[in-house]
Amino acid sequence: MSQPADHTVHANHSPLRSALQGVREAIPLLGGYIPVALSFGLVATQAGFTTWEAAAISALIYAGASQFLFVGMIAAGAPLWLVVAMTLLINVRHVVYGPNLAALLPRSRHWPWLMHGLTDQVFALALTRLPQLPEVKRFSWFVGASLLAWGVWIIGTAVGATGGEAVTARWPLLGEIMPFALPALFLTMVAPRFTDKRWAAAMLCTILAALGLNLAGWSNVAIPLAAACGALCFYTVTFQPRRSRP
Amino acid sequence: MSSAMWIAVIICALGTLLMRVVPFLWMQRRLGSAAGMNAMPQWLVILGPMMIAAVLGVSIVPVNPSPVSWLATAIGLSVTLLVWRRLRSLGWPVAAGVGVFGAVEVVAALI
Repeated sequence: MSQPADHTVHANHSPLRSALQGVREAIPLLGGYIPVALSFGLVATQAGFTTWEAAAISALIYAGASQFLFVGMIAAGAPLWLVVAMTLLINVRHVVYGPNLAALLPRSRHWPWLMHGLTDQVFALALTRLPQLPEVKRFSWFVGASLLAWGVWIIGTAVGATGGEAVTARWPLLGEIMPFALPALFLTMVAPRFTDKRWAAAMLCTILAALGLNLAGWSNVAIPLAAACGALCFYTVTFQPRRSRP
Repeated sequence: MSSAMWIAVIICALGTLLMRVVPFLWMQRRLGSAAGMNAMPQWLVILGPMMIAAVLGVSIVPVNPSPVSWLATAIGLSVTLLVWRRLRSLGWPVAAGVGVFGAVEVVAALI
C-alpha cells in the first residue's frame, strides 16, 4: 500500500483520527485479552482478593502471566519478597521491547507513563504496524492501541471478579474461541518474514521451541528462551546461494 | 489486602514499568546521539521479530487441548494464512481464522 507524501500527511493529520486507527487495529488483541482478564478476575477472587484489589493489580502491574503468579503465590502463602522477585523475574523479557520501538516513535515527555502499556501483544502489533505508518501518526496510534488494551484488561478483570463464573457458565465456548484471535494475529505478523530462508528457519525454530516449552509446562520462560533459540539459529544457520549450472 | 501486600504490588508495578520505559528512553537517547542508527545493536534488531514468533508459539496451544481443538487450530491457522496471502492485511485474516476455528469447535460440540 502506498503512503501519501509526508507534507500532505502533516497538513491533514488529526491526532484523534490516528488514535482511533490505533484503537481499531488493536481490536483483534481483545480476543485474547478478554478471556484471560475474566479468568484473572475469577482466580484473584478465589484467592481471596476483592474485585477492587484484583482490578488494581491489573491496572498497576498489567502483565498477564506475572499477575497469575502473583495471586497464586500469595494464595499459597509464599513470602512476599519471593512473590515480588518471581513477578519481576517473569517480566524481565520486557527490557528488549522498548529498544526495538525506540527508532520508530518520536521523543515525548509522556513516554515514562505511556510505556506502561507495552505488553507482549502491544509490542508485537506496534513493531509490525509502526514502520508502515507516517511518522506524524505514530504517537497517537500507540496511545490509542495501548490505552484500549489496558482499559479492556482492567474492565475484564473487574467483570471476571464480579461475575466470571456466570459468564463462563453461560457461554462455555467463548473462552475457547476468542483466544484464537491471538495466534491468528501473530501469524499475520510473522508471515512476511517467511520470504527469506534464513529468517524462515530462525522463526520456525522459535515458534516450535515456544510451543514445546509451553506444552512442557515452562510457559513463564517460553518467550525469552524460544526467542534466544531463534536468534542463535539465525546466527548459526546460513544458506548457500544456489549455483547456476554452466 | 494488607499494607505489606499493597507495597508488594507497587514494587512489582514500578519494577515492571522501569523494565519497559528505561531501555526505551536509553535507546532513544543513543539513537539521537552522533552514532545515529548504527547505535542499534544487530542482535536487538533480530530479537524483536523473534519475540513475536515466540508469542505466536506460546499462543498456538489451545485453551483446552484436545484432538478437536488442535484440528481447529490447524484449520484456523491455515485459513488465516490463505486470507493473509490474498489480502496482506491484519484484520480480515484474523476474523476469517477465528470464524473458521469457532465453526469447527461448534460443529464438533454438536456432533
